[in-house]
Amino acid sequence: MAGDVVVPGLEGAPAELRSALRRLLLGLADTKRLLGIRYSDWLLGAPSIEAGIAASSMAQDEWGHARLLYAALRDFGDDPVELEHAREPEGYLSWGPLDEDADDWAGVVASMLVLDGVLTEALSGIAEGRYEPLEGRITKMLAEEEFHASLATAWFRRLAGSEEGRARLRAATEVILEGALLGAAPGDDSHERLAAEGLTLGAGELRGRMADRLDPLLSLIGLSVPTGAGLPADWDEARGRGPGAPPFDSIERARGDRNRALFVE
Amino acid sequence: MEEIVFDVFARKNRGEPLTHIGYLSAPDREMARVYAWTTYDEENWFEMCIVPRSEIHLVNRTDGPFAGRGAG
Repeated sequence: MAGDVVVPGLEGAPAELRSALRRLLLGLADTKRLLGIRYSDWLLGAPSIEAGIAASSMAQDEWGHARLLYAALRDFGDDPVELEHAREPEGYLSWGPLDEDADDWAGVVASMLVLDGVLTEALSGIAEGRYEPLEGRITKMLAEEEFHASLATAWFRRLAGSEEGRARLRAATEVILEGALLGAAPGDDSHERLAAEGLTLGAGELRGRMADRLDPLLSLIGLSVPTGAGLPADWDEARGRGPGAPPFDSIERARGDRNRALFVE
Repeated sequence: MEEIVFDVFARKNRGEPLTHIGYLSAPDREMARVYAWTTYDEENWFEMCIVPRSEIHLVNRTDGPFAGRGAG
C-alpha cells in the first residue's frame, strides 16, 4: 500500500486499513461536534461579551469542521446524514473528556488549550500524510484553528496569573489531559497501522508535537505532557476511546432530535 | 485585570480604505486580536486591524466618537 496512489475512501486497500482511517476521521468528527456543544454552553456566562462571542464563533467552527469530516466519510460507504442524526451515544467516537461539561470558565480554557490543541495536531498529522482527498478541507480547518489557539493561549496565561486561576486550570487540565492525548495519539494497532502507511503520524511523533505545543503553558500550572504510559486496560479499540459514552442530552442536541420535524436535508 | 478598548478597522478588498467597523474590550492586544476576528467575522475581510483607543489622537474636535480615550 505505502507508495500507492491514495484514492478517496482508500478504495481497493485492505479492509483493516480502510476501517482504521474511518475510525480516525469519525473520531475527529465526533470530537469536534461534542467540543462545539461544550463551547456553545458558554455563549452566555463567559467572563465578558467578547469571550462569549468567541465561544460562539469557535462552536460554529467546530460544527463546520465536523460536518466536513462527516461528509468525507461518504467515501468510506457511510451516509453522512445517518452519522449526524441517527446514532446512539454508544456509537459516538468522541474522546472521553468531552463526556462531561466544564465546571467553570477555567475548564473551558483548559479544553481550548488541550482538547482543541491536540485535535489540531491530529489534523496536522493527517494533512502531512498521504491521504490527499482531505487536504483542502484540513487546510481550511487549520487556518481557523489558529484563532482558537491564540485565544486559548491568551486566556490560559491570563488565568495562570493568579493563584486561584492556576488551581482551577490545574484541576480542569488534570481531568482531561490523558484522555485528550490518548484520543489524538492512541498508539493502538489501528493507529499504528495508519502511521505505517504514511496516512498519519505515529503516536511517539504526535506526543512529541503535543508536548512542544502544550508544555510551555502547562508548566505555568506545574504540569507537562507525560510520556506515553500505554493504553488503559479498558481501552475500546473499535471506538478509539475508553469506556462510556457522551450523555444522552448532548447527543440529542448533536442530532437535532427536537427539530426533527423541521428536518429539510 | 483592566480592560482596554480597541477600535476595529477593516477593508474588504485590497486598495479600499480601511473602515471603522466597531470596537471591543479586552485585557491585552493578543486577546483583542482574536475577539476582533470572532466578533466581526460576518464579512470575508481582506484585512482587519485593531488600534487601542488610547492611541487615537483627536485632531479637530474633542467630542467625537473616539473621544473616550479608552473608556469606551
